[in-house]
Amino acid sequence: MPRRGIDFMGKRNVFFALSAAVSVLAIVILLVNGLTFGIEFQGGTVMTLAGAQGVDTEQVREALEAAGVPDARNAVIQPTDEGGFIVRTAESDTSAAQEDFGMIVSELGLPEQDANVTTIGPGWGANVTNAALIALIVSLVAILGYISLRFEYKMSITAVLALFHDTLIVLGVYSLSGREVTPNTIAALLTILGYSLYDTIVVFHRIKENAANLSKRSFMEMTNESINQMLMRWINTGLVQIIPILALLFFGGETLRDFAFAMAVGIGSGAYSSVGLASPLYAVWKEREPKFRALKKRYEAQQSVK
Amino acid sequence: MESKTRNMVSLLVVAVLATVAVWQFWPPGDKITQGLDIKGGLSVILTAEPLGQAPLTEDVLQRVETILVERVNGFGVSEASVQRQGQNAFLVQLPGVQNAREALRLLGEPGRLEFIEYASITDTATIELINRQIDAEASATPTEALPALDQAGYAPFMTGEVVTDAQVTTDEFGNPAVSITMSREGADVWGEVTSRLAPARGIVVIALDGRAKSAPAVQSPILDGNTLITGTFSIDEARGLAAVLQSGAMPAQIEIDESRVVGPTLGQDSLNQGLLAALLGLVSVALFMAVYYRGLGLLSWVALGLYGVIFLGVLAVLSRLGIFSMTLPGIAGMILTIGVAADTSILIFERLKEEVAAGKTYRSAAKSGVRHAIATSIDADVVTLVSAVALYIFAIGPVRGFAFTLILGIFIDLVIALLFTAPMVRILAEGPMAKVPALFGLKAGDRDA
Repeated sequence: MPRRGIDFMGKRNVFFALSAAVSVLAIVILLVNGLTFGIEFQGGTVMTLAGAQGVDTEQVREALEAAGVPDARNAVIQPTDEGGFIVRTAESDTSAAQEDFGMIVSELGLPEQDANVTTIGPGWGANVTNAALIALIVSLVAILGYISLRFEYKMSITAVLALFHDTLIVLGVYSLSGREVTPNTIAALLTILGYSLYDTIVVFHRIKENAANLSKRSFMEMTNESINQMLMRWINTGLVQIIPILALLFFGGETLRDFAFAMAVGIGSGAYSSVGLASPLYAVWKEREPKFRALKKRYEAQQSVK
Repeated sequence: MESKTRNMVSLLVVAVLATVAVWQFWPPGDKITQGLDIKGGLSVILTAEPLGQAPLTEDVLQRVETILVERVNGFGVSEASVQRQGQNAFLVQLPGVQNAREALRLLGEPGRLEFIEYASITDTATIELINRQIDAEASATPTEALPALDQAGYAPFMTGEVVTDAQVTTDEFGNPAVSITMSREGADVWGEVTSRLAPARGIVVIALDGRAKSAPAVQSPILDGNTLITGTFSIDEARGLAAVLQSGAMPAQIEIDESRVVGPTLGQDSLNQGLLAALLGLVSVALFMAVYYRGLGLLSWVALGLYGVIFLGVLAVLSRLGIFSMTLPGIAGMILTIGVAADTSILIFERLKEEVAAGKTYRSAAKSGVRHAIATSIDADVVTLVSAVALYIFAIGPVRGFAFTLILGIFIDLVIALLFTAPMVRILAEGPMAKVPALFGLKAGDRDA
């Protein structure tokens, strides 16, 4: 059979180097910049004030001080596109936050119903983080188990490696952009786990199918052809996954934006890693098996005879 | 012939499902419950911590839940709900609640009602504090400014456990008060104490959570257990107190960990933005499908449309059962599943094209293509499902709404793929595809490639 399509596997070392470099970069960025955790993790209050046209940041800060908000000077006041403000303060007592809020809106003359007030207690972050970690571990174990059962354990391990790579990249981008990590981010990360695997599973399915009657080619060659066969599927499924998320990112409003951001980065990275990382890693691993090593030798011999 | 019948039956089932769905969810604004972050109101997450030495057993947690439900009902808010989340957390939702501050205070209140014989108190500091608290009540200044009583300084002869009913009423001056009814045992104790104290006009202190509310001198023995708690209550406070007394004392310490107050206008704005994003996402995906897959793309439009309709129908049914309300993260989950749904169509169409290109007849390409593509799709979906289910079970807070719609979307997508897309592809392969392959993005020459 003639060699057709793009030689992905031939460039696998480029992909590995790229993935390694980006992962190391992400780790360095994380170590240097750290992550900005939202109030959900450390306790505090977020107020979303709308309909505040004609009010400037300084006036909001003065209102915070007048209301006696603790550490008002360090409160984060961020104007929104819709003519309002998102105000983050260190107040972690719910009743006090409600009182502060009442004073602030009356001070600024804003309508009370055009506002959201979220207060998170100081100990809550640990709970949220623990819950997320448990969900993460259970997901990983279940995914490993399912892929091992349905395909084989080598596929599950390379798939999960690609997953770590994607997660690292999302966290790195978060760290770099200084965006806040919220429970929504964590949810997005968990979803990316499943989502970034979508492409990987689609490619693995084909590899499994093609491996069933593999005789005239090396495993690596077959993997490459599998990817090429799935190329349009890979591009198109990636596109239709990311289109709605971009709509969410640009038009979905303030609340859903951080969520969409993490998803967009993760899906991009997930699409890359299924072809650039999971598949070649798997093929390299498989070629170490005696059966496929022999096949590779025979195939190479055939090639040189021709 | 048998497969033809099967195709038609599948399509018929989908048509019926879709019709029922439309009938269920129309008009969506009324039929699909809106979550608090859209409708506005107060949403609180409380956690229970052990009180003193008592461990936090399942019994205790269930009692806490019951008490929360009763207190919430006492607020008189319709559609209020209490939901257990994670190990020891409770999500309380009060749609449209205006006075968030008062509601927050009442939810977390220990609700410890105590009856103390004034003469039995020997600790002078306690006596002095009770006097100050009673004075503050009498002069209508908030007693919150004063410290709570030290439980070591007195011994109540009776606690709130005897209360069987509590109602808002007025005292002889027309001020709001709370009347309580007691159990047999309570009435017996109460009767004994009041009989003993009545001749000397002895004083009984009634304290709630360590704060003396009133200290009436007993005029006559009360044998039926009906008693009035007076103090300086506003009507709202009296209503709240009645709710707290009715539900009894919290067997655990309650902490408020998260409160979200959403203004109704802002919630509507967010909803509109979410819907706009959903619509744009759907339209863009549909356009892409039509441009790339031509006739098959149009088939995916119908599939996406059916998907949306049945999804909304299921949400409406779940709303009516009271187990679903649409939140913003829920909308995000729905938007995400647009991609999942389109992915399934893509896998089917690509496999079909591939098998046609490999030289199979349209009919057999449709048959085996659909089968293989759906197998792939199920495997890929299961993996997405696993993380969504883990998120739903273990996560706390609004993200569960996201996980829920994601899970639902994956299932509905599979139903559509099996009952609509697959039979349609098989039916189209019987005739139209062979006649006008270009219409389906299939080149006639593909066979030779």
